[in-house]
Amino acid sequence: MLKGFRGLGFFFLKYRVQWSLGMTCVFFSVAISLLGPPFFVRFVIDELYAGRATLETVGWNAFYIMLATLLANAVVFAQRQFNVVSSFKVAYDVRKAIFEQLTNLDQTYFHQNKTGDLMSRLTSDLNMVREMLGFGINAGSQTLLRMIMSIGLMIWLSPTLGLIVLAVFPIIAGLLAIMVRIIAKRYVAVQEQSSAISAKAQENFSGIRVVKGYAIEDREIAEYKDMNAEYKKRSMALAISEAPEWAAVGIAMNTVFVIVLLVGARELLFQGATTGNANANFAGLTPGKFVQFFTYLFELSWPMLAVGWMTNIFQRGSSSWSRLQEILDAKSVITDSRVDPSIKAVDGLIEFKDVTVKADGRTLLANVNLKIPKGTTVGITGRTGSGKTLLGQLIGRLIDPSSGVILIDGQDARTVPIQVLRSAIGLVPQEPFLFSDKLSENIAFGLPNSTQITEPNIPDLERVQMAARVAGLSKDVADFKEQFETVLGERGITLSGGQRQRTAIARAIARDPAILILDDSMSAVDTETEARILSELKKVLEDRTVILIGHRVSTLRFADNIVVLENGRVLEQGTHDQLIHQGGYYAEMERKQSLQTELEVEIEPVATRV
Amino acid sequence: MREEDAFTKQFDWQLTKRIFGYLRPYTWIALGALLLAFLNSATNRLYPFLQAQVIDQYLIPKAGSSFAALAVDERWNGVVTIGIIIAVVALLEFVVRFGFNYVLSWMGQSVLFDIRADIFSKLQRLPLAYFDRNPVGRLITRVTSDVDAINSFITDGLMTLVQSTFVVLATAVLMFQLNTKLALVALAVVPILFLALRFFQTQFRKSYREIRIKQAIVNTALNENITGMGTVQIFNREVRQRRDFDTLNSEFLAAYLKSVKWYSYFFPTVGIIGNGALAIVIWVGGGDAVRNVVSIGVLYAFTRYVFDFFRPLEDLSNVLNTLQAAMASAERIFGILDEPEVITDAANAKKIVGGFKGEVQFKDVWFSYKPVGEEVLETDWVLRGINLHVKPGQSVALVGATGAGKTSIISLVSRFYDIQKGSILVDGTDVRQIVQRDLRKHVGVVLQDVYLFSGTIESNLRMNDESIPLEKIIQACKYVGVHEFISSLPNGYKTEVKERGATLSTGQKQLLAFARALIANPDILLVLDEATANIDTESELQIQDALAKVMHGRTSIIIAHRLSTIKNCDRIIVMRKGKIVEEGSHDELLQHGGYYATLYNLQYADQELAGV
Repeated sequence: MLKGFRGLGFFFLKYRVQWSLGMTCVFFSVAISLLGPPFFVRFVIDELYAGRATLETVGWNAFYIMLATLLANAVVFAQRQFNVVSSFKVAYDVRKAIFEQLTNLDQTYFHQNKTGDLMSRLTSDLNMVREMLGFGINAGSQTLLRMIMSIGLMIWLSPTLGLIVLAVFPIIAGLLAIMVRIIAKRYVAVQEQSSAISAKAQENFSGIRVVKGYAIEDREIAEYKDMNAEYKKRSMALAISEAPEWAAVGIAMNTVFVIVLLVGARELLFQGATTGNANANFAGLTPGKFVQFFTYLFELSWPMLAVGWMTNIFQRGSSSWSRLQEILDAKSVITDSRVDPSIKAVDGLIEFKDVTVKADGRTLLANVNLKIPKGTTVGITGRTGSGKTLLGQLIGRLIDPSSGVILIDGQDARTVPIQVLRSAIGLVPQEPFLFSDKLSENIAFGLPNSTQITEPNIPDLERVQMAARVAGLSKDVADFKEQFETVLGERGITLSGGQRQRTAIARAIARDPAILILDDSMSAVDTETEARILSELKKVLEDRTVILIGHRVSTLRFADNIVVLENGRVLEQGTHDQLIHQGGYYAEMERKQSLQTELEVEIEPVATRV
Repeated sequence: MREEDAFTKQFDWQLTKRIFGYLRPYTWIALGALLLAFLNSATNRLYPFLQAQVIDQYLIPKAGSSFAALAVDERWNGVVTIGIIIAVVALLEFVVRFGFNYVLSWMGQSVLFDIRADIFSKLQRLPLAYFDRNPVGRLITRVTSDVDAINSFITDGLMTLVQSTFVVLATAVLMFQLNTKLALVALAVVPILFLALRFFQTQFRKSYREIRIKQAIVNTALNENITGMGTVQIFNREVRQRRDFDTLNSEFLAAYLKSVKWYSYFFPTVGIIGNGALAIVIWVGGGDAVRNVVSIGVLYAFTRYVFDFFRPLEDLSNVLNTLQAAMASAERIFGILDEPEVITDAANAKKIVGGFKGEVQFKDVWFSYKPVGEEVLETDWVLRGINLHVKPGQSVALVGATGAGKTSIISLVSRFYDIQKGSILVDGTDVRQIVQRDLRKHVGVVLQDVYLFSGTIESNLRMNDESIPLEKIIQACKYVGVHEFISSLPNGYKTEVKERGATLSTGQKQLLAFARALIANPDILLVLDEATANIDTESELQIQDALAKVMHGRTSIIIAHRLSTIKNCDRIIVMRKGKIVEEGSHDELLQHGGYYATLYNLQYADQELAGV
């Protein structure tokens, strides 16, 4: 099992001082509580039995009990502060480390690992590990120590009785551990049925049109009831194994108790009888010791159950940790390993040379050659899945080509420090991702004082306003109650598709990038607005290289060069006029779009019977 | 935040009464559970009492009492007797405890079953509009976690309340049996302990809530950053995002540490109260023992009883929270059960025996997705005065841009929604005057992306109707040309559908949809034939062929995207913005050179060129 904790040691040992102190506390709290009050109670009883007890002795012993209690509980307080607090700190450290690791991993990793999966590792798996370190170590060590000390004390009080308990205890604990296992299994069966029921409900609710259309509501209800009946059956199977758990502890304790009582009573009675001396007859076992013995015996109820639980907690913790360690072990494909640190800026000349991208055995881009001179605009179009988006991602090194090379200012893009390269790029992705933060923060997302942590964290508002104006967002912002301070997302307002896209454009422009990549980024914006934004962009982005990926001829036509991609290959290339003249894909696209415009022209619909 | 509702919702008697309503069928079981709870608490608390007896009577009999005179052998016999009694009580306790837990689970599960069945059945009766309004996820929550909350209301809430009260009472009664003075002393700890527990419960709840909130914030940030990591990286924001996340992570840690703080106080407090009571019992009881008023056995029993209040009091202090937590869920559940079933069968609704001739008529139909009776804004109208007459056996193709109202027409024939103005007649009877089941049984809807339920291919083809012989199903499949494909599957018609048919191709799904419709043999056929991408010519021809076969001899209204389908229909209806703008045959409409002609050029001319 230790192998399952590879890597956890690093995080664990950071708090070794706390853990050691915590363990010391565990020892003292258990020792004081087991040695304190039970001894004083025994003393009082034995004194009473011997007839020596006075009000004074009783009073003092009551006082000692109180004193021991206060002491033990002060230690219990400290113990939790050391052990449990450390476990939460470890969880914090792990969360932090994994987040850092995630910021270093590239898109390939995020494609292979779905958000939901990563989330569940960072939440439920991390919780399991935390529970193991907190509850597992704190309660686990305490339980273990209590058990060992109790048994030890019992043997010390009366070897015969103690050994009886020692012999019986493992059997009971073992049986209970088996029970815990059965319960765990049945619990899983219940959970499975529960998800099946949810899936059934989901299926029914999503397909309600078909359910109603075929009038099969009654069958659906019957099936749903059947599944619930099965759920009930499994739940009862769980109940039947779970119900006796505590009940079994009860009967086990009482059986042991009766055995101890009989054996102990025999010793007490017949010793007394043989010697006939009230004081001497309890040289071995006294009534006080007998009572003390019972106290320790009842201490064992909880550990009996805990053995099974603790094993579960550690097993789950171990498998959860290995899932977290997997994230920490992941390596990024895109690295800064070939960087030329002397490159400090990017000018904007881009060249694709024989660029091929393969993934999962499929060729996504094949031998693409393309030169984009500084300050020009290239239009890229083609069907969905033709590889348009990849071109933008390659320039920003979100992915690297499988073969071929991308030259930035005549040098391999992989020699440009990633930081420098990306600083020069403004990317507007197809489905822009905005953060649930203020609008101003979102637009200033890539500004230097937002990316660094030393400078004060206030967005350059002038820059933000300028970018919003160019992106055609100013009017929308004016309509928001809190203007640029408006919070987006879950806790704020929901932007329309067009607003989202324009915000993303503003975010890219705000950086004043040498290279602007617009990846189908105005699909939700009407044609007129798109034209207006592009003409505004032209003014601001003089001398900038623009990669315009899109479908609208009305905007593509202004590009210096238009590239049509199909299945990862360049199908057509040229200016608008050249391509129209050529009469291929682009020309057909133009024809359809002008028809579409015609359709959209408002004609008052009048029924015409032919 | 949903979770927070649970804490703020007040206890509500009306809701509680309705929950109790679900217990009514199990009145006797519930009473049995109460009896078992009582026996359980009684047996469970008997041990210290019996132990006191064994000590006082046989081990350390008080000088001068009748037991003191007993011989050693007789004393031994007495010990054995009480030992046996303890063993019997233990056995009894085992049975009672087991029985109690079992009966309680059974009752909870039964109520759970009943509530779920009620909600699910109710949802099946609610109109489609209800499902348009309520996302699937929300409805799932109703039949899962909300129902669970009711279950714990009964098992963890009510029953704990009863059982823990019994335990406290049983302990009190036994203590008074032993010694009134010490019983009063020991019971003094109860209110203190209860108040302490209540105080800590409140703190735990508060900090738990804070943890939940912080957890949600951290999760949102994680989710956002993982999803948007590409954006983060391209904008060089890694360092800044790390720092921002660290702030949230620290706050999350702080929330946890706050709860640890309360727990750090909690355990010592409870420990001190328990052992404090022990010290007092020893002090008072020991004093009395010195004066020979209290026996050693009684003193011993009290040292055990003082610790026994913890569990039941802890449960009791928590019970109100459990009850309260169920209120919000109960309200949501009863909200569904009280939802009006807008589309219902009229009292004198017509039963359809043998089917329809197949005449469909729309008379000046005005429709909006707003609930009937609510004010409809000018922009909300989806259909604006539709007049349409489809004769038995006739086929009609509906064409037009997205949002023109084609889909609504199809939904209305099956009466998935009710209209605001006008009337829709099938065979001359208003659809609102026909039994819904019968109407839908004879009106078949074919969606292109066949919705497959979990089960076998066969069960998906026959849908509800077990009376259809397999031969007829096979015959239909052969007819539409999907039989060979089904036969090639590992278990043929008995093959389990996986992931709702994710592994099937678009063409196969469509053919299955046609087969399903053919097997149901409707008199009126409504088809949603959406544009299909990535389909090879062979399958395309197969689909066209199958569609023609299914339409044959039936009244059909088809939302057509295939030119061949459109041409095959007797009549083309061109729709635009909720109105019918053109009507006629393909050639007539092309010649007319209107809206359809433009549409044809844009959408269908390619198909003609491609030759399919």
